[in-house]
Amino acid sequence: MSSNKPTIPDLPLQFCGKWNQKSYRVLRELGRGANGAVYLAAQGGVRRAVKVGAEGMDLLMEVNVLKSVQQGRDARVAPLVSDVDDLVINGKTFTFYAMEYLEGEQLDRYVKRMGTDWVPILMIQLLARLEILHRHGWVFGDLKPENVMVTHADKQVRLIDFGGVTKMGNAVRQFTEEYDRAAWQAGDRRADIAYDLFSLAVMAVRLSADPEMWKSRRQEPRQTSLLCDIIRNSDSLYPYRVSLVKALHGKYASAGEMRSEMLAIVRERTIGHRGKQASDSAGKLVGGLFVASLLLLAGTLYYAWMM
Amino acid sequence: MKEATLRQILVVTDGCSNAGISPVAAATLAREQGITVNVIGVIEKGDMGEQGEKEIREIANAGGGLYDIVYPQQLAQTVQMLTRKAMTRTIHHVVNKELKEILGDSAIDVLSPEKRVQVAGMVDELGERSRLDVVMLVDTSGSMKSKLSAVQQAIHDFSISLRSRSGQSRMAVCSFPGKQKHLDVRIPWTDQVEQAHQLTSGLTMSGITPTGPAIVEAIALFEHVQLPASLSERFRNEQEEDDGSLRDHVF
Repeated sequence: MSSNKPTIPDLPLQFCGKWNQKSYRVLRELGRGANGAVYLAAQGGVRRAVKVGAEGMDLLMEVNVLKSVQQGRDARVAPLVSDVDDLVINGKTFTFYAMEYLEGEQLDRYVKRMGTDWVPILMIQLLARLEILHRHGWVFGDLKPENVMVTHADKQVRLIDFGGVTKMGNAVRQFTEEYDRAAWQAGDRRADIAYDLFSLAVMAVRLSADPEMWKSRRQEPRQTSLLCDIIRNSDSLYPYRVSLVKALHGKYASAGEMRSEMLAIVRERTIGHRGKQASDSAGKLVGGLFVASLLLLAGTLYYAWMM
Repeated sequence: MKEATLRQILVVTDGCSNAGISPVAAATLAREQGITVNVIGVIEKGDMGEQGEKEIREIANAGGGLYDIVYPQQLAQTVQMLTRKAMTRTIHHVVNKELKEILGDSAIDVLSPEKRVQVAGMVDELGERSRLDVVMLVDTSGSMKSKLSAVQQAIHDFSISLRSRSGQSRMAVCSFPGKQKHLDVRIPWTDQVEQAHQLTSGLTMSGITPTGPAIVEAIALFEHVQLPASLSERFRNEQEEDDGSLRDHVF
């Protein structure tokens, strides 16, 4: 729709970076966002995601964030950047960067396929990622299902689009109204920990709520009371109501705090459900130990007899 | 580098201008005086029309700014995004100019991408801290009527965005065509907009869209610009701001 988009260049099928001389073979386009287009490409036999944009500065700001997050030893928060370079398309120079290609599925599609049971677990994982980001002094900003991926191989939640990542205390660089604290009239757009946790809570509600209902209630004015109402009336969200409502009202000091509270609820619920099964398996365990000790005894006797 | 003031005019319109000086010429004039002109086209369905889109693009290009064409519900988000990107761009140009003085003509081209990543971090930080003055110029000609509630929402929302910045920010809101002149100041320079403000009250609905003249008059709201006496009387007294000293408009 946006008319700025045509200015995002289409990558040629094959190209070579001007400075680092790495050559890429483009396989297909993965997606287009506000800041640029992401392609899947092969470079030296490795698959990479390559992002190119109309405004080089915007892209370089993203790289700046990605690199600063990677300075710590905490992998798995951001995709690793493998190359930053320029390429020339039709005589015009564009900046691009290449990063590791994460094979996975967008968060909302994953939940749709696997069921809403996964939502609390994925949120708990996501909170761990956010905590690391926050510890480095960054706020993710544009948190939404489209910017979160669940990897195929190990079911890990990964943040993928870093265009909204903002230094703590600054104005959030990029947001989506549906998940934006200010649009819900619950605060401003200054990047702080609570901003991300607010978006996360809205996301949890949206992922768990019936899509039709979410769509129809979108016409109502955006107020946190609407979200609280949905939480109260949803079977899958109700157990997590305290955590979610706290997040919506900015009551958590850190992502870790919210994470451990949600984790405690998941544990409690699992134990509650499985109480009976747990005692069954304990019985089996005792039985197993008995057999083992008999075998051990037999072995000892045999050994003694041989002497 | 001294603290800078970034100045922008943001035009919100839904069609072609049809009165007075060409808006492209007006945007050129604004840019000449250190003011960037961004344009947002608001459409209800379908397309803007080739003519309308062309004009919007040309205004933004001449004004050194950016443009986008969106539906009313995307307006709030677009306002924030365009403003931030245009700021980045302006600062980038200035930084580039400084680099050229140090490094010679090819400037940024001789910097490796890794070095430019560091420049980008600096540009980002400068954008956050610099002063920002934005005049929102809202087309209130007949066809815009149904979109004005979205515009109102966007104005309030933009005020939240501005408040969230570290640097000082101010905004003013004008509508065009005005009652007597080409433009009416609806909200004078402020750093906070009350949601209650009604943009729709007391509007003159007419078929005239004097985008060009409105841009020229909006330039007068920035007090760093030397004005002919007639315009300066009209606009200066609307400001309670008194730090009469001209702010430097380049770094």
